[in-house]
Amino acid sequence: MTELSHSELGGFIADRVEIGVFAVDADFKLTLWNRFMATHSRHSAVDVLGQNLFDVFPELPRAWLERKVRQVQALRNYAFTSWTQRPYLFRFDHNRPITGGVDAMRQNCTFLPVKNAAGEVIQVCVTVQDVTDTAIAHEELAASMAEVEREKAEQRKLIGELAQAQNQVLQSEKLASIGQLAAGVAHEINNPIGFVNSNLGTLASYVDELMVVLDAYTGAHDQLPEDLKAAIDAKIKGVDLDYLREDLVSLVTESRDGLDRVKDIVQDLKDFSRMGESEAAWADLHHCLDTTLNVVANEIKYKAEVVKHYGELPEVECVASQLNQVFMNLMVNGAQAIAERGTITITTGTEGEQVFVAVRDTGAGIPPDVLKRIFDPFYTTKPVGTGTGLGLSVSYSIIERHGGRIVVDSKPGEGTEFKIWLPIRYPAAASAAA
Amino acid sequence: MSTALFSEDQRDALQELTNIGMGQAGASVAAVLGEFVMLSVPRILVLKPNLIPPALGRIVGPEKVTAVRQGFHGDLRGEAVVVYGVAHCRELADLMGYDEALDEATERELLLDVSNVLVGACLGGLAEQINAEMGFSAPSLMATEVEVASLLDVQRMDSPCALFVEVNFSLEKRSFACHLIMLLPEDQILVLRDAIDRFLASL
Repeated sequence: MTELSHSELGGFIADRVEIGVFAVDADFKLTLWNRFMATHSRHSAVDVLGQNLFDVFPELPRAWLERKVRQVQALRNYAFTSWTQRPYLFRFDHNRPITGGVDAMRQNCTFLPVKNAAGEVIQVCVTVQDVTDTAIAHEELAASMAEVEREKAEQRKLIGELAQAQNQVLQSEKLASIGQLAAGVAHEINNPIGFVNSNLGTLASYVDELMVVLDAYTGAHDQLPEDLKAAIDAKIKGVDLDYLREDLVSLVTESRDGLDRVKDIVQDLKDFSRMGESEAAWADLHHCLDTTLNVVANEIKYKAEVVKHYGELPEVECVASQLNQVFMNLMVNGAQAIAERGTITITTGTEGEQVFVAVRDTGAGIPPDVLKRIFDPFYTTKPVGTGTGLGLSVSYSIIERHGGRIVVDSKPGEGTEFKIWLPIRYPAAASAAA
Repeated sequence: MSTALFSEDQRDALQELTNIGMGQAGASVAAVLGEFVMLSVPRILVLKPNLIPPALGRIVGPEKVTAVRQGFHGDLRGEAVVVYGVAHCRELADLMGYDEALDEATERELLLDVSNVLVGACLGGLAEQINAEMGFSAPSLMATEVEVASLLDVQRMDSPCALFVEVNFSLEKRSFACHLIMLLPEDQILVLRDAIDRFLASL
């Protein structure tokens, strides 16, 4: 007999094929156990045939497997498992003992009903396919996809940071040019103010001297001839000389007061801009706050009364022009949050090694969903054209550069408080880099 | 929407055969799930590929879906798609008798398993009615939690038209429901038509 019968051929292939093939009857007794199964499980067919599957392999997921086999029997249909959800049915060594990659052979299984002539399912056959290579390739692919995604996310973050940095450059350039403009204007105004001031001084002394002369003339008034006296009396009456004498002095005094105020404003402008200074220096924060209040007085005087609770503050090493910008932001925002009329309270003090400045308003407050985003660049709740959306994010990064922190506490309907903590010394590394 | 590939008689016969097949399927699914299964009368349409997504949308509604596909081959060759509303997906664990909370892999295995049961039972039932031999390939996840419209890529379908057989499943005591859609390419529609003719001739 040199030829194989069809069923012998089938049996041979089922035994030798490089796929695990086994079958169980309704009581889970093994009725087929091919060579693949024998080799990988190290249980020969002779040892296991006729045995209960779960007796030979107690580690199998019994409840699940029983349900699966029952399902095949009841539906007389195929069932499947995939390594993606269930890595393996039998824990077999894989084909990569040297190069490795996974803990055990990855398997796809097919459960097929074995039917008799009447179409009844009398056994269930299971094939176990080794898909370790596919699984490893799949996982490597998934890992590199994840890596690509991670890099993309990082790039997005970098692009965001770049945009933010650019905004800050724009903003600080804007501020620097405003500062230069202010300083330039202040300088230009100082000249005329100087000579007007000195002229006024001279004018005041001339007026005094004129008064002395006028007094002398007044003493001699009665000795004048009648007709001349009457003419002069009429002139004196015409200009209301007594009032004029009184008013002249106060006009000169008021003008000098006015000039002093102009000088203060010019000085504030110069202090506020500090000529675009970016070096940290020792500064009195109260002076910074007062200067800023003077600059923004016009913005807030119709909305809010400003209450100052200044504590004891040491001098702080900082870039005053930048902090002025932060204070201005908080004050103007506070005033804008107030609908009719309210109060802006500025509190300062020390806490441990740090100083703090708190700006509280009695405005509308910030809703929680907005609160999360207020330090984001370009986030604004103001109408188009009113705000740049950069104020708070710039403030945030200025405070960060100073090694401090800024926190916000807001209750809708009650108001908002921004509190800034600053170290007394400017961070050394940042000041070296700047 | 044309069903011109079928005569009225053929369409009625197909509807009836599918219905009988589904009825048997319902009984065996009920045996596996331990719950009484309600099946809709199958609805049969011959559709151009670009009309399939809107037809799916009409069946499922606006909610997001998870879908499983399974190929079948043999005397009839095509694909079955089981579509679950996202909310129903979570009821599966309970349905299949899992008490504990499931991890994602187990949940997906369950989804594939239930889909396999439904597809096998329904298509097996139909195959039996028309005396066709049919085998199944392993089911696979098509998409999870996506819009119905993005489920099928009609650009990639090269058959000019497809037979769209829709059956809706629901369970008597639960709100669980899903939709099974059997898709046959045009050449297979002709095969099916011949099988129906043979069936009609044998009556």
